Amino acid sequence: MDLVLLLQRIFDALFNSAIYSSLALALVIIFRSTGLLNFAQGEMATFTAYIAFVLLAGPQPRLTGGGLAGLIPGVPFTVPLAIVGAVLCGMAAGAATERALIRPLGGASDLALVNITIGLLLATNSLMAQWWGTGPRIFPAIFPSGAGQHFTILGARLRYSTVGVWIVLLSVLILLILLLRHTRVGLAFRAVSISPSNAELVGVRVGSTLMYGWAMASGFGALAACLSANSVLLEPNMMLRVLVYAFAAATLGGLDSPKGALVGGLIIGLSQTLIPAYVPFIGFELSVLPALLAMVLILLVRPAGLYGTKRIERV
Amino acid sequence: MFERQHRLSRLSVTGIVLLSVALAIIPFVATTTGLRQASQIIISVLAVLGVNVATGYGGMISLGHGVFVGVGAFATGYYLDDLSLPWLLAIALGALTAALSGALVGLPALRIKGIHLALVTLGMAIVFQPLSKRFPKITGGVSGQGVEARFDAPNWWPGDSRMASAVYRYLFCVLIVVLALWVTWNIVNSRFGRSMRALRDNDTAAAIYGIDLVSARVTTFAVSAGLAGLCGALQVLLVPFVSQDKFPAQESLVIYASAVVGGLGTIWGPVLGVLARTGVGKAGDLIAGFDGLGPIGDFFSLLDESAFVFGVGLIVLTFFFPRGLAGIGRKRQPSG
Repeated sequence: MDLVLLLQRIFDALFNSAIYSSLALALVIIFRSTGLLNFAQGEMATFTAYIAFVLLAGPQPRLTGGGLAGLIPGVPFTVPLAIVGAVLCGMAAGAATERALIRPLGGASDLALVNITIGLLLATNSLMAQWWGTGPRIFPAIFPSGAGQHFTILGARLRYSTVGVWIVLLSVLILLILLLRHTRVGLAFRAVSISPSNAELVGVRVGSTLMYGWAMASGFGALAACLSANSVLLEPNMMLRVLVYAFAAATLGGLDSPKGALVGGLIIGLSQTLIPAYVPFIGFELSVLPALLAMVLILLVRPAGLYGTKRIERV
Repeated sequence: MFERQHRLSRLSVTGIVLLSVALAIIPFVATTTGLRQASQIIISVLAVLGVNVATGYGGMISLGHGVFVGVGAFATGYYLDDLSLPWLLAIALGALTAALSGALVGLPALRIKGIHLALVTLGMAIVFQPLSKRFPKITGGVSGQGVEARFDAPNWWPGDSRMASAVYRYLFCVLIVVLALWVTWNIVNSRFGRSMRALRDNDTAAAIYGIDLVSARVTTFAVSAGLAGLCGALQVLLVPFVSQDKFPAQESLVIYASAVVGGLGTIWGPVLGVLARTGVGKAGDLIAGFDGLGPIGDFFSLLDESAFVFGVGLIVLTFFFPRGLAGIGRKRQPSG
């Protein structure tokens, strides 16, 4: 086995790993606090990437679709600013979703929650196809990603964009941890995640705390979409397959463990690049299959994943 | 809730009469293309019925029934062309193949439940397209392939024009769908149907009453996948062409949405769901067709894509009519 090639593949995989980790984090934050799997997370994220795209393009109806062109300022944004804007929009949309669609249902059945998120997925997906068309769009890179822009380690190339994505992800994570540990909202959020009813008894406003949780999660989702839109091309179905990887990552790590999401994303990202490279039948496009199989296997054998809380069920 | 529901209500009788009249009129007024489209709409009831059996009666959320439609279609094409089987046998085997693949999915469903099962079936729906591209001999790869065999009217059928064949295919599809509805209606009201619903409502209690969880869950999933597969097989009959691009993940989700919008756990649900899907599409075309509506017209051109309306419809109905369209006409009663 060619070791340099292996190292190269690992380096290449790290970029995807970061994307899967952040989308998995979004899923885990919501599952941990609200107890639902947000199937619409990927589509909500893609929508924010389109918002960044619109902000970047400025008022050009031809590029941006008629619907939103009137709303944007005359000056095109720079890439980082557009992504920040998109993440903020994503956070607002996440909070609004919790407030308008999830909270009024008040702990309804799994079926109702699945219906809501699937409804959101379908509506958002076709809305994007309608406004921006189904063709792929070129999304500018935030980090230098030209031909020569990489570190060389042991003969393998580690691209600046990979390093950049990890720096962004880790700094946002550190920020999140500080927020959770050292602010009142963070304390409230931890309390609600452990037990909503107990948190309510000691005076935590569960509803608005969950809303912050959704905003946080959607922020992570938006970040994942904006950072990957350059390499996978922006199109309405962009995050559909990424969602499978992210769910596999979250399941592997344990659906209620943020640490698990990070580790799971790393493992799934690596396997997504390494398995097709060494098993020819699984081409690039079919690399979702091992992720799905891994997910099924984990749910069958060890539903709590690597770091998740074991559910105790009376049999 | 376990009482037999064999007596039809007055509303149901009215519905059946209206639908029969509509079905009888269509062949006299439609063109061959229109008739084929009508047939396609009618057979899509089967896929929605499949979801209804798994989710509505069996309590297992399936977001991936488009996969079983695809398996049914690909398998039928294979049996017809590569094995040169006659049509009826190919259709039956196509549905059976889908049922077997459904049983395979039903096995993990023994342990993976509720929202996690929804997750796995959604993954399945997303993986199906790239997976089917990997078997070009059966699926025609990326671009799909034609099926040689044609389902034409036999000699005793009056007339031999293209229209006569189209009417023959239409009536065949109607017959199969009515049969499938009747059989499903009897299954859900049988001993097995009651155990299915008992499982949905409380599997521990069901097990205590001596219901075999394994066989009940696997059979439910197999029946439900078989119905979806039958839809796929009839698609080949109507349009002899199979292609992976008919089975994107969104298709599975719209099938699921139709089942929920129509009403889960009712026999009328799938029919109403498909009628709603069709009606919404047609209404959208109509409004978008008017000139001078400006932004309203633009917006209604969205309705072409039933996915948008069904997405919104799913959310609205979950809030206001959790029992779907079929639940609106009914008196409030405990779910069952």
